[in-house]
Amino acid sequence: MSLDKSESIQNIVTQSGRLAASGRSIKVKPLSKSRLTMRITMIALAALTIYGFFVFDYKNISPWQGTIDMLTNFKTMFLSPHLAHLTFWEGAYAIVVTLAMAVLTTLISAFLAFFLALFAAQNLSNHTVARSIQAVAAFIRSIPTVLWVLIFAISAGLGSVAAIVGMSFHSISYLTKAYAESFEEMDQGLIEALRATGAHWWHIVFQAVLPMSLTYLISWTFMRFEINFGVSVAMGAAAGAGGIGFDMFMASAFYHDLREVGAITYYILVVAFLLEMLSLRMKSAVRGKMI
Amino acid sequence: MHARTLEAPATVGSSEVRELLKVERLTKKYGEHTAIADISFTVHEGEFVVLIGPSGAGKSTLLRSINRMIEPTSGHVWFDGMQVDALDKKGLRELRRKIGMIFQHYNLVDRLSVIENVLHGRLGYKSILTGSLGMYQAQEKERAMELITMLGLEEHTYKRADQLSGGQKQRVGIARALIQNPRLLLGDEPIASLDPKAAKTIMDYLKSIAHTLNISMIISLHQVQVALTYADRVLAVRQGRIVYDGLPRDLSLERVRDIYGADAGDLIIDTGDRHVD
Ligand SMILES: Nc1ncnc2c1ncn2[C@@H]1O[C@H](COP(=O)(O)OP(=O)(O)O)[C@@H](O)[C@H]1O
Ligand SMILES: [Mg+2]
Repeated sequence: MSLDKSESIQNIVTQSGRLAASGRSIKVKPLSKSRLTMRITMIALAALTIYGFFVFDYKNISPWQGTIDMLTNFKTMFLSPHLAHLTFWEGAYAIVVTLAMAVLTTLISAFLAFFLALFAAQNLSNHTVARSIQAVAAFIRSIPTVLWVLIFAISAGLGSVAAIVGMSFHSISYLTKAYAESFEEMDQGLIEALRATGAHWWHIVFQAVLPMSLTYLISWTFMRFEINFGVSVAMGAAAGAGGIGFDMFMASAFYHDLREVGAITYYILVVAFLLEMLSLRMKSAVRGKMI
Repeated sequence: MHARTLEAPATVGSSEVRELLKVERLTKKYGEHTAIADISFTVHEGEFVVLIGPSGAGKSTLLRSINRMIEPTSGHVWFDGMQVDALDKKGLRELRRKIGMIFQHYNLVDRLSVIENVLHGRLGYKSILTGSLGMYQAQEKERAMELITMLGLEEHTYKRADQLSGGQKQRVGIARALIQNPRLLLGDEPIASLDPKAAKTIMDYLKSIAHTLNISMIISLHQVQVALTYADRVLAVRQGRIVYDGLPRDLSLERVRDIYGADAGDLIIDTGDRHVD
């Protein structure tokens, strides 16, 4: 028996040796229909891009000159930033406002999405209910956040409320999907074991589903928070929601002050960097405790 | 206590001991496919019943039809004065907390401690709020500690469940079932993932619990030798039907071959030591 095995292993070894020597290559991924379509699309897009450069209407501005101008503008922006229309502390306050919008949006979304996701998870909910929630969430997700904010801006007026409600709409549907998928990872046997003790559905949610999926929930929520921060900046400008985004809009479109735009960009960069650090820390802390 | 006084005259015939569970013509169909058919048997208080049969015979389906984790297609189940098939949602909760259940894969919440897992056995008695928040009474916690000690897990009380060995996890599973104060314990191949030594420990615990706490057991096993050693009574199923219901000593090798049919070849190895899976 064991002799057999070692013999066959030897066979494989020598065979593969021979194969390598002959240099015959084995295709791991066959050229399927979808891969072929993908390849053709990529080639077509590349061709169109190159063709585009030749037929653009450059309005007597050479692409070369344009690139140089852009770089000069970047240089003014980032190498000589200054604040003209707001003080350092006003800038700091504006970024706190932006952060607050992101935090509020994330908190509201996380809370509502948690409960929606319970009913959207196939293993915890009724099949029809789960499907319906998933479908509605998918529909909401397919419309960009900015559009949602503008829709609410029209009905609720411009401002931070419209921005937060609009951003929450997209956030909720995003987190609902993410959370529901985390819940569906749960071992079915565990749910069965608790049901067999006579436990209530809510007991199972808080005593088994939540502890088992907490790490995922935290990661997804923080990831969405980072997205929401970026969106909050944009919404400050687009929906007049205030915060650093609004100041940036004013500096660029109203005062045409490139140097101030540069300074504001630095504010945002610093905060984005801090968030990234915090996110990494939190993830490793949660990992250490939970896994 | 009560059962002990009843056990003396039981020498005349086991029918003197009180019936706890009565299953009558129980059937479960999945579409055209019949998982269990026309199954009838009774279990007495404190009785240790072992369920054997080849894989796919319907053991899991039968066990889960008793506490209605699976809804039977037809037939009746009576348990401790309740007609199980007629229970509403609230009645079903009451039934389930009187029936403990243990599993092949233990089914513990890995990220919670041993004692938290044990206390989950009390959830059937809790309101939505206290249960969800994991708020237990002092005497429930004391009982949890007693059971943990009884099962030799006291030094692991605050360890996370995923840090335990298989045998230890199954003991946590048993403690979680016992804290329900059950009258019956169902086990779906509880030793199938354990090495022989841990499997023996678990079977010894179950046997002694059945006798000292007077809790009836229905345990499915795939090792016939183990079944013969521990069972008060053996139930064998094949293709969804009961093909043997009697004392282990009356179960001849011929009968075993019959029960397992074509699989009997593997079985001879299986009755000795555990096979690797
Ligand atoms: N959810 C299900 N849907 C369809 N058939 C099932 C389902 N569960 C079990 N069965 C079938 O019922 C029969 C009995 O299964 P089971 O009770 O799991 O057997 P055992 O536990 O003895 O291995 C098998 O033929 C199995 O394929
Ligand atoms: Mg089974």
